[in-house]
Amino acid sequence: MDYDLGTDAVDLRKRLRELISTHIPEGFLGACTDDPQDLATTESFCKLLAADGLLALAWPKEHGGGGGSVWQQTVLREEMWAHHEPRGAQYMGINWVGPALMRYGTEEQKARHLSAIAAGEVIWCQGFSEPEAGTDLASLRTRAVADGDGWRVTGQKVWTSYARMASWCVLAACTDPAAPKPQRLTLFLVPMDRAGITVRPIRSMLGPHHLNEVFLDDVEVSAGEVLGEVGDGWRVMREALAFERVGIARYARCESLLDRMQAELGDDWDRLPESIRTRWVRALIDLRVARLLAYRAVSLQDDPSAGAAASAARIATTTCDQQVAELLLDVLGPAALDSGSAAPLHGAIEDHWRYAQAATVASGTIEVQRMLVAREALGGKG
Amino acid sequence: MKTALPEDIAEFGTVAIKQFARFGGPQAALRAETEEQLRAGARTALSDLGAFDLDVRSSAEDLLAAAVLCQAAGAAALPYPLVEELLAVDGARLALVNPEAPRIDHGDLAGDWIAADLDGTRYRVQPSSRSSAKLGPFLVPATLIQPDGTVPSADVDLHLNLGSWRILGAVQQALDIARRHVADRMQFGKPLAEFQAVRFTVADASVAVRGLSELAKYTISRTESAPAQVRSADALILRLKAADTARQVLRTAHQLLGALGFCDESDVSVLDRHTQSLIRLPVSAEVLAIRLTKGVAGGQFETLFSAPVSA
Repeated sequence: MDYDLGTDAVDLRKRLRELISTHIPEGFLGACTDDPQDLATTESFCKLLAADGLLALAWPKEHGGGGGSVWQQTVLREEMWAHHEPRGAQYMGINWVGPALMRYGTEEQKARHLSAIAAGEVIWCQGFSEPEAGTDLASLRTRAVADGDGWRVTGQKVWTSYARMASWCVLAACTDPAAPKPQRLTLFLVPMDRAGITVRPIRSMLGPHHLNEVFLDDVEVSAGEVLGEVGDGWRVMREALAFERVGIARYARCESLLDRMQAELGDDWDRLPESIRTRWVRALIDLRVARLLAYRAVSLQDDPSAGAAASAARIATTTCDQQVAELLLDVLGPAALDSGSAAPLHGAIEDHWRYAQAATVASGTIEVQRMLVAREALGGKG
Repeated sequence: MKTALPEDIAEFGTVAIKQFARFGGPQAALRAETEEQLRAGARTALSDLGAFDLDVRSSAEDLLAAAVLCQAAGAAALPYPLVEELLAVDGARLALVNPEAPRIDHGDLAGDWIAADLDGTRYRVQPSSRSSAKLGPFLVPATLIQPDGTVPSADVDLHLNLGSWRILGAVQQALDIARRHVADRMQFGKPLAEFQAVRFTVADASVAVRGLSELAKYTISRTESAPAQVRSADALILRLKAADTARQVLRTAHQLLGALGFCDESDVSVLDRHTQSLIRLPVSAEVLAIRLTKGVAGGQFETLFSAPVSA
């Protein structure tokens, strides 16, 4: 056994930390804030990464990627999330829209979109969830009706992250309601400024830009904007989402926050109540375990057991996220509820607690992950 | 990065599991509570596997083999002080004890013993006789005669690590028993495994066991390369996680097996009772956590962001 990430991955971590400390301002909490400067910071940082082939690190070089190893990709995930995702809303385009285009896109679609994504020039959003279809995506109701060579789409999407920032959307719609569930859906690549699309932000505890509603009113879509085959959207969605199998490296931000909080406390750390310090110990252990489960899932790659291993990693890391959020608020005591740049760690702890509430819901609920782990342990489908 | 056990080590583990099954598994451990000669039989089973030829202190490969051997012994609740004998000093088995209340598992077996506490202080020791305790049935109260130098911190760390591999084997076995039980047991016209509450409970236990397994592999793989203070923190981390996981998973196994899980004819009861000595001793999980707070404050508890600790 060998847990060495390799020299190239270790060097990459060092390089990323240098870039972040030089170009990301102290107190940066991601692109989804009320301050437009934060979005601008992510845009310029993405271009910086892109210039070094680091933005689309996992992509093959012919598509503008860096051809990085899986362990370099792991380090990239960890460092970006630990530092409040300075790639901002690029995350989605890089992590699954691009890979899905490489596999299912036409030559024209690849030529139009891939280099723009790799260069950090375009933001994508994902039009999947609907008021009546969350985890059960195959039941979505947005309807695409054939019209000449193209389609007209009408319906409503919800919880759509980055929809107000995005210039493109991967939109899932039902093209044949009479077909069996797996053959009902088709994916479309739609510009967000197309007539008939209206975005309404949803105010939430997560902060601005995280959640939006997208209304589609007789939106025209051409045949050339279909991703993959008509009626094959469900399979493409499932495969595309599997590109992100291991999920967000939430453990990395938790370890970073605990490290920063400890530095902030200095000698006062020893004066914290013993019950808090032992919770801190257990949190760090659980984070180490979550990291090792993620590494295990990555190392299994195409092994049939990789899916359940990834679900186990996700369960561990999302529950850690909430565990650490609670711990840090308890550490802060009365200052726990303060927000903004004057709050402890420039508001990073308060921000983390709010965002952690979504950890076990977003990108596949913890219940779905439990179902997948149980399926491997017990068989069956429940 | 390679996160899987080497094939030859995994095969050795499989052979050990079969050997201990032939010896009688947890039910043999149950009989050993009252039939003295069975513990000698357990030693023979270990000896046949070459256990006592393993050099755990200086061979990384032997240490890995010892780890999977301990895992297999844990799964069978093998009634023998394997870790203590693997770490024997000059022929005397090494016991890890709490000086405030010294107890030695299988301390009544013939042969010499020495003891050490978690700080590495070494003691000459006088074991007494075994009581008929339900929890930790082979524990023997002992008297520490006087401090007698020290043992290397590496020995204490290996003791904690290999004991944790025994706990890992026990919890994997308990989960497997629970998994098979819920697949077979019919209630309300269908197997328990079809109830979502049961499936989620098994999933949570499965994630906990997977996590412990990954941590155990990681920890044992870097006992040679990590600086001594980091290695000692690693050993405490693994033992604390093992104890916490055992409490969660054994509780889950009891709940899923219902009343059957309390009965000695169920291996879960035997595994639980016999593993308590490792879960609770030499100190409780809470005391391990308190010891680790020093490692957090001092930087020996490595994270993605901690500064390197010099060797």
